[in-house]
Amino acid sequence: MTKSTRSRGRGPRRTILILAAIAGFATAPAFARPRDLDRSLDRPSDHGVFRVAVQSARTPVPLFRVHQWSLRITDPTGKPVSGAVVAVDGGMPDHRHGLPTAPRAAASEVAGDYVINGVKFSMPGWWVLKLAVQAPDGRSDTVTFNLVL
Amino acid sequence: MKPVLAAIAASVLALAPLARAAPAWTPEDLTTIRMLSPRALPKPAPDPSNRVADMAAARDLGRALFSDARFSANGQVSCASCHQPAHGFTDALPVGRGVAEGARRTMPIAAAAHSPWQFWDGRADSLWAQALGPVENPAEHGFTRTEVARVLATNYGTAYRRVFGRRLPDPSRLPGRASPLGDTSAQAAWSRMTPSDQQAVDVAFADFGKAIAAYERALSVRPGRFDRYAATLGGGTSARASFSADEVAGLRLFIGKAQCVTCHNGPLFTNGGFANTGVAPRPGRPPDAGRVAGIGKALADPFNCQGAYSDAPPDRCDELEFAVRDSPELDGAFKVPSLRGVARRAPYMHAGQLRSLEEVLDHYNQAPAAAIGHSELRPLHLTGLERRQIITFLRTLDEDVPQPAKASR
Repeated sequence: MTKSTRSRGRGPRRTILILAAIAGFATAPAFARPRDLDRSLDRPSDHGVFRVAVQSARTPVPLFRVHQWSLRITDPTGKPVSGAVVAVDGGMPDHRHGLPTAPRAAASEVAGDYVINGVKFSMPGWWVLKLAVQAPDGRSDTVTFNLVL
Repeated sequence: MKPVLAAIAASVLALAPLARAAPAWTPEDLTTIRMLSPRALPKPAPDPSNRVADMAAARDLGRALFSDARFSANGQVSCASCHQPAHGFTDALPVGRGVAEGARRTMPIAAAAHSPWQFWDGRADSLWAQALGPVENPAEHGFTRTEVARVLATNYGTAYRRVFGRRLPDPSRLPGRASPLGDTSAQAAWSRMTPSDQQAVDVAFADFGKAIAAYERALSVRPGRFDRYAATLGGGTSARASFSADEVAGLRLFIGKAQCVTCHNGPLFTNGGFANTGVAPRPGRPPDAGRVAGIGKALADPFNCQGAYSDAPPDRCDELEFAVRDSPELDGAFKVPSLRGVARRAPYMHAGQLRSLEEVLDHYNQAPAAAIGHSELRPLHLTGLERRQIITFLRTLDEDVPQPAKASR
């Protein structure tokens, strides 16, 4: 890409692009990720059907160890959503691989509260945790959390 | 304007070689590099499935069993026959050779205690379950579990009782060669045994593995030149003396452009996972299914963490309980090996298909399609110099040779 830019490059703007590319390459971090990544762990689901919050049972989030997360699901008014079926997926988008384990969510005793067992992260960097929530009344939505470890 | 920009561009380009010689690591780079240091390596996680895992007496027993060739069909093969300390606990062969030639490359074991899965395909979920496999493999020890129980009872009765607090089965009650996994006659002999004798033999067989696991857990990972370099970074000490410009460049490529650190990360240079890297099968051999078959075997293994011979309650077996079982990522995937000591471990890959680090770098650079499943690799577009720099860096992962203690004056 740099080569073709150079061969076609004309004028100051092209030169600035080349300089930016050189500077960018020299300082590129080992794990590239979007600059404006939303890292909130308490947010509305993709279509606003639920409000979903997740939290690791261990702080800081451990690497290489299977551990548990807590999950809370409410509707937009704050009313707990119990009895939902929650599918857990995720991975590392910029490394094109999924989660190293297959975590499962299960309801806990408090209305709207769940636990996600079997979570594991096998390297530092940008991970996503994707949840697909299906409430007993038929409402469903998805939500994606970004983690930078 | 234009001449000014051209001058800036020229000065940036002129500085590039200097930048390589005197590294300016970014905070992200430093985080990654520190994660590769053995200082970040905790002790192996407790193994609740093996109650003697950290017992000194079990370690001593395991050390003796590890190099005892009486646990083999021809009396000449021990664990140490293939896992040779002088070769980083591997041999120097493309595929292991016990009583016959095996199908895969011998794996190193010094770092194995840190991995939740053993074997190239992860078909064992503990060190002790792993240790049992080669013993009954017809190409490795070619032995049977009743023979293991008999050799233990004849030669290790006292040590066994001290470690496990029970007696071995009476050898006179046991057939000479019997196993549910053996050849036809061994299986027939096994089927004629009483259920209680079968169980007693399985307990002794599992204990044999648990003692060997205790020994293997105590094998430490020794640091090397890379670790001394990493220790100086950010500490106010000049690191330039301990790493050449090519080694620095190789490390930069390793954690950057070449993306090696995607899988080879952490203090053991492995994420402990499985990956399909599209390495071709050995000539004349069919493609190896790898992890997709391995996870099925681990789940069905009576010696797994949730089995009758495990010391763990079933809810302490997280890796097995939450293992990925049905992803296409498992097809043709093999364990990501540690790169510590990698330069001394040729040949490479799960069946020794690549003879040298040069061939390994060529493979990753070209990223050929996989014979089974889909390779995770993408072409890296590394130059010849860059490939050589990465290899130069990999040689810094050799462990320091232990120095003999100085004689006191």
